[in-house]
Amino acid sequence: MKKNLVPLIVLAVLAVFPLVVEDNYYRHLMIMFLMWVVIGSAWNLIAGYTGQVSFGDAAFFGSGAYAAGLLSHHLQLSAWWGLAIGGFVAVAVGMPFGWICFRMRGAYFALATLALNEVLRHSAAIAEGFTGGMVGILIMPTFVSKIPYYYVALALAVASMLSIQWIVHSKPGYYFVSIREDQDAAESLGIDTHFYKMLSLAVAAFWTGVAGSLYMNYMGFIDPDVVFSLHDISIMAILVGIVGGVGTVYGPAVGAFIMVTVQEFFRSGFFGLFDFLGRATGSAAVESMAKTITGAHVLGFGILVVVVILVLPNGIVGDWPKIRNVFARNKIAA
Amino acid sequence: MVFALVLSMLLINAAEAANIKVGIVLPLTGEQAKFGEIEKRSFQMAAEEINAKGGVNGNKLELLFEDDTGKPDVGRSAVEKLISREKVPVLTGAYSSSVTAAITAVAQQFKVPFLVTTGSADEVTEKKYDYVFRINPPASEYPSAVISFLQDVVKPRTAVILFENSLFGQSSSKSFEADCNKMGIKVLTKEGYNKGAVDFKPLLTKVKAQNPDLVYMVSYVMDAALLMRQAKELNFNPKVYIGGGAGFTLPEFQKNAGPAAEYVYSATLWVESVPYPGAMDYFKRYRAKYKEDTEYHGAEAYASLYVVADALKRAKSITPKDVRDALAATNMMTAFGPVKFVSYGKKTQQNKLPTFMVQWQKGSLETVWPKEVAKKKYVFPVPEWSKRK
Amino acid sequence: MDVFLQTLVAGVLKGGLYALIGIGMTLIMGVMGIINLAHGQLMMVAMYITYILHVAGVDPYISLFVAMPALFLLGCVIQRYLLNPLLKVETILPENQVLMTVGIGMVLTEVVRFIFKSDYKSVSTDYSNATFFLGNISFSVALTISFLIAIAFTVAMFFFLIKTDIGRSIRATAQDKDAAVLMGVNTGRITIVTFGLGSALVAAAGSLLAPVFYVFPDIGGPFTARAFIITILGGLGSTVGAIFGGVTLGLAESFGATYISMDYENIIGMTIFVLVLLFLPGGFKRLTKV
Repeated sequence: MKKNLVPLIVLAVLAVFPLVVEDNYYRHLMIMFLMWVVIGSAWNLIAGYTGQVSFGDAAFFGSGAYAAGLLSHHLQLSAWWGLAIGGFVAVAVGMPFGWICFRMRGAYFALATLALNEVLRHSAAIAEGFTGGMVGILIMPTFVSKIPYYYVALALAVASMLSIQWIVHSKPGYYFVSIREDQDAAESLGIDTHFYKMLSLAVAAFWTGVAGSLYMNYMGFIDPDVVFSLHDISIMAILVGIVGGVGTVYGPAVGAFIMVTVQEFFRSGFFGLFDFLGRATGSAAVESMAKTITGAHVLGFGILVVVVILVLPNGIVGDWPKIRNVFARNKIAA
Repeated sequence: MVFALVLSMLLINAAEAANIKVGIVLPLTGEQAKFGEIEKRSFQMAAEEINAKGGVNGNKLELLFEDDTGKPDVGRSAVEKLISREKVPVLTGAYSSSVTAAITAVAQQFKVPFLVTTGSADEVTEKKYDYVFRINPPASEYPSAVISFLQDVVKPRTAVILFENSLFGQSSSKSFEADCNKMGIKVLTKEGYNKGAVDFKPLLTKVKAQNPDLVYMVSYVMDAALLMRQAKELNFNPKVYIGGGAGFTLPEFQKNAGPAAEYVYSATLWVESVPYPGAMDYFKRYRAKYKEDTEYHGAEAYASLYVVADALKRAKSITPKDVRDALAATNMMTAFGPVKFVSYGKKTQQNKLPTFMVQWQKGSLETVWPKEVAKKKYVFPVPEWSKRK
Repeated sequence: MDVFLQTLVAGVLKGGLYALIGIGMTLIMGVMGIINLAHGQLMMVAMYITYILHVAGVDPYISLFVAMPALFLLGCVIQRYLLNPLLKVETILPENQVLMTVGIGMVLTEVVRFIFKSDYKSVSTDYSNATFFLGNISFSVALTISFLIAIAFTVAMFFFLIKTDIGRSIRATAQDKDAAVLMGVNTGRITIVTFGLGSALVAAAGSLLAPVFYVFPDIGGPFTARAFIITILGGLGSTVGAIFGGVTLGLAESFGATYISMDYENIIGMTIFVLVLLFLPGGFKRLTKV
């Protein structure tokens, strides 16, 4: 029970969050956070547990988003059906690819997923008649209030985490880790590594696709560059996975929270702090510095990537003992 | 120290209490930052002018800029912040069509009037959103001047359409193809390419073999320059090259294409020499203030704020609902042209504007069509590449 | 027939440039197994160096000799201070270095954007537009020169790797790192030099490309993608393979644009990539053994 105490408290807080906080801006950020929990957990399963690093999560995300969008675009069905089928569409896209790529070891899979995403992005852009091309798909969101989206996102986040936790603590989960640790040894023990990698990929693709469908419903707009974006989706998914903790259950949740916050933090110029300082002091120097810093938010993001990998390669949850040690040592020194 | 800070914060708030906030979303960083910056400066210029003349019924306009970084989801969260935290009664700005599309849905949901400055995809005003207005003509209407020019002067029989695979490229090439069919011009090839291509020669070689009268290109600035340079290298001589707006009118195009830019025509929405009051003035003051040239995106932004200020002046109260009603009744002249929001076809609350044609002559961009506003005579027929100096 | 020949010429000339971009990548990937997703961004940095020198009145072919050493240093610094330390940290995923190069690419792009803004710059020279004709076929002077230089660099690289001590050490490190250490090769230093060399080669490509293309902070990405397609196609670590890979990709893109549609230019590259992984893992190198 004690082990589950913290997650339960967090869950309780999340459950009442939109009822307490009425600011839609924070609700929006929280919905993004929950969506990234789903994607991050999925990435963590295939990369963190199974050791097959995907650089093409956007391929699954985009497939799910387009599944939802196209249903509404062509068949006038509600895009919410996407939540039901988006995941399976993503699996259908991922499977043949996994089947090809998993014959190769190491970074080839990473590159191949990257290539898959590029192919899908260009195809979606060119197939104007089917996907609307670069015009994208625009639907009117069902709800004005954010609360329904929030709870759908929360439900998906919890469901994805529970299902993935269940898998990693069952037999396939142990096989996944053994593949990550030593594929040859796993094979010599009679584990069908190809099958288990495919299984892991299928689950990961499924949840990423579902997250894509949620995005379509919530944002009301997608185009190929948005949902098949290397930087904004694929790399972000990796960062969420790595920052929080590779191969840990709660890591992606922590990572999603940090990355969404950090991204907004940089974009809004430290939540308007510099803007405020500039106005408060009226000094041109501070104002131009404020402008410079907000202007460099992608740079800040890039530097963060570099620093995280150098300092916390296993993420905050994964490197927690290391972080604790640093603080403990400081305490002794003080 | 903390106390002083809090105090100064309160003071600032007190001083700003009478201001009317206008929310503006623009790409201030990332790939599109260049145009976001031009628009931001133009908005600021307009605000300074309006405020210097007494603002809106004595209240000053306060511009709240948010950076959309060129991404729809970021734009969306920025707008939500403006609406729910800053309680802005009106929104304007938005550069890229994808960000614009995402924002329109939010504005409509929260019932805050949104005057689209640039986002040119036709769809933006085809959703029957009664809180969305657009000052900029839709992409499909950019070539309206081109059509009369083709009918009156060039009279081509065959055409080739090349376009960038972007929202703007896809949608305006599609409508131009329809225009060609209406005019009885046979479209031999209509082909897209992806931005950032290195080599257009294979494509150009193929269309050269078809020997078209007209080559119509919807390309962004550097692709446009490469297309023209490589067309020159291949000695490819259709009767005319016409650019469908976007990249062909920018100074960078001429800089990169050099002599290959000469005599190229382009459709455009605005040049500083248009016969609208304040257009040239705006252009000159912008240059004096920022030591750089502005272009039509800036004029759109500049005019947008005047339209917003005008609506705020006429609004019964500064609430989103009343401002929307005031915007809907807009009928005024701006530096960007006459502004009146009308509904036609599938579009609602869309401003209708005539467009112009320009031509590069001796390295400078001259307005050549329609005749009423032309500053220079168009050069036609265009000499072949090999017969030029 | 003219259409066919012109397409062929365009493809081969473009392929030469691609090859030069690919050689740098193949060295880095082959020797260290590092997938350098900042490769195109390094080229972009070199193009900006060329641009600055161009504004100062220096010809791009001369700024080659500034851009190459500059990028050599930059490459060394990246390998020494950002990539080598990764070998020492304990991590679950070996792909951390891939992500690191993505981060480096972002930083390079944004630093350049910070300095030069998102403005398009041109390096236009007298020969940017110059052409000569053989029959009806047009040759771009600038691309022809850069093609020749690319071939020269490849040949030089080939002999460098075969004949010199450093070259041999690089090959030894590529084949078996542990054995190389035992043979007294300072592999740490070799990786640094190799990354520097790879960066210098892509810098050369950048300087040659600048006059016929344009300069912009975001142009790196597509070239990174092409570089790794070429590398996979040619075979890891194979300079001769990179030439074949570059020309093959150039030809495939050109013929695709002429006879299918330019729409598919990027898809063609990715398709080749997947096909090679499927049917010829190891690339051309496996066929030629060079």
